[in-house]
Order: sequence, then structure tokens, then C-alpha cells
Amino acid sequence: MRDLARDPTALEQLRVQRGRLADRIRAPWWYLAGIAFLWALVFAAPFGSRYLPRGVSPFPLILAVALPLACLLYWGQARATGIKTGFRNLSYRPARPAGIAMLVVSIAANGTETSLIRRDLLAAAIVVAALAVAAEVAAQQALLRAIRQDLRAGGGAA
Amino acid sequence: MTAKARPDPLIHPITRLSICGLLAAGADWVEFAALRDAAGISDSVLSKQSRVLEDAGYVEVRKGAVGRRPRTWFRLTAEGRQAVQGHLAWLAQLEETFTASTRDVQQARPLAGDRDQPRRVLPPLLGST
Repeated sequence: MRDLARDPTALEQLRVQRGRLADRIRAPWWYLAGIAFLWALVFAAPFGSRYLPRGVSPFPLILAVALPLACLLYWGQARATGIKTGFRNLSYRPARPAGIAMLVVSIAANGTETSLIRRDLLAAAIVVAALAVAAEVAAQQALLRAIRQDLRAGGGAA
Repeated sequence: MTAKARPDPLIHPITRLSICGLLAAGADWVEFAALRDAAGISDSVLSKQSRVLEDAGYVEVRKGAVGRRPRTWFRLTAEGRQAVQGHLAWLAQLEETFTASTRDVQQARPLAGDRDQPRRVLPPLLGST
């Protein structure tokens, strides 16, 4: 086997290989569609609160559908890319901007929707929900991009 | 980087360095085919080298199956991660020294027609005797 001690190109080669590995993290169409459906469920919650009978909360129902779907999407993406990235929370620095954006959009959109539904502005609430779903999908793509860049850079390993 | 820069003879060969370097990049688990393609090595080489790393306690291997197709996943252990980070830090130092030495050689080389330029005494390259 080739000795590396006198080979300054070893790290350069590793950078190229990391780039190849990072390039595998691409979101397939069904993944983005699944993410959009997942967020659509979340943003449908204010509508559910309005139209479901009193005392029935839409959240257990949404959770019952969203949680298995999220697991299925994670499993599917790991299978398609060959890389399990694990759960990235806000303590993971590269994904922080996208994570904060997701949080802010979900809180703002839910609040706006609730307020619009109370005033019987249903069409406006639906538009807000649709825009929020689009923003969440864009944030998810930004998150994947951040993970890809971190993998390419070595994730703090070098 | 917190790991102490020091060479690890087990990670030193280029194939094992590729495997460990890729596993240390930030992914949690990496699948056999993804690792093989990224490292640009054959199935048999990856199997052989991963076994060496697994025996040394640097790599954790999880085997499963999707339908009838076997799936093997790899990830670095804490010990392996520490060793890789130390080795990569050492390599980075080596690269830095090499780059600095090369720069010195280029600066010391007299320009064409500039015979009167004084010669500089160059430091020996790392590793050369």
C-alpha cells in the first residue's frame, strides 16, 4: 500500500472523496413532496381547530399521521442516498439558520392563519398556509445544502 | 480541532485513511455502496479494510437487509473518531510544512540571468534525510 507520510496530496484526495460523498445528499422529488405534505398537515391544524367538533383537537390526529411519515421519509432518504445524517437540532451550527427559519415560519404562519380564520378570511388563510409550506420546503432544502457543505468541509474532522 | 495531532499507523495507509476520513466527515452512518463509490475502491478492498478497522475498534458495522439485498452500514466509534482527527491534524501539519518548504524553494530559485543572486540555505523537507 502506498505510504502517505511523504504525500501532501493525501488530504487533497480526501477532500475530493468527501465532495463525492456530499454530492449524494440530494433530495429526490418524492422526499420534497413528502416534506410538503408533512408541513401541509401542520398548517392544516388551525383549520381543523375551527371545523372539528368542540373538544376534539386536531393535533393527535396530525401527530399520528406526521410522525410515521417523517420516519418513512428519513428512512427512504437514507436508503436512496446511502447516508444517515441523524437528527440535526439547533445545536448543529451549519443547520441553525435553516432550523430557525423553519421555526419562525411555522409559528408566524400558524398565528396568522388562526387570526385570519377567526375573521372568516378563509382564502387568505389558505394562501398563507400554501406560502408557509413553500417556505418550509425551501428551508428543508437549505438544511440539506448546509449538511452537504459540512460533509464536504469534513464536519470539523479536518 | 481538539484532537492532538499524531500519526496513527492503522489509519496511515491511503485506503483506510479514505474510509475513516469519509466516515469522520459528519454523517452518522454511511452505507457500503456509498462509501465504496466515494472512496473509489472495490467491494473486496472495502470489505477487507473495514474488517481491519472493525477489529481495531475504530469502526462499527451494522448489517441488515432490505428484502433480499444485504445492506451494510458503517460508522466511526468514539475511539476511531479521535484517532482520525489526530491523524488528519498531523497530515494537515505535514501539508502546511510541505507547502512552506515548496514556497521557500521557489523563492530561493534564482531568476534566469540573475546569477549574482545569493543562494539561500533551505531547510530540509520533512521526512527526507
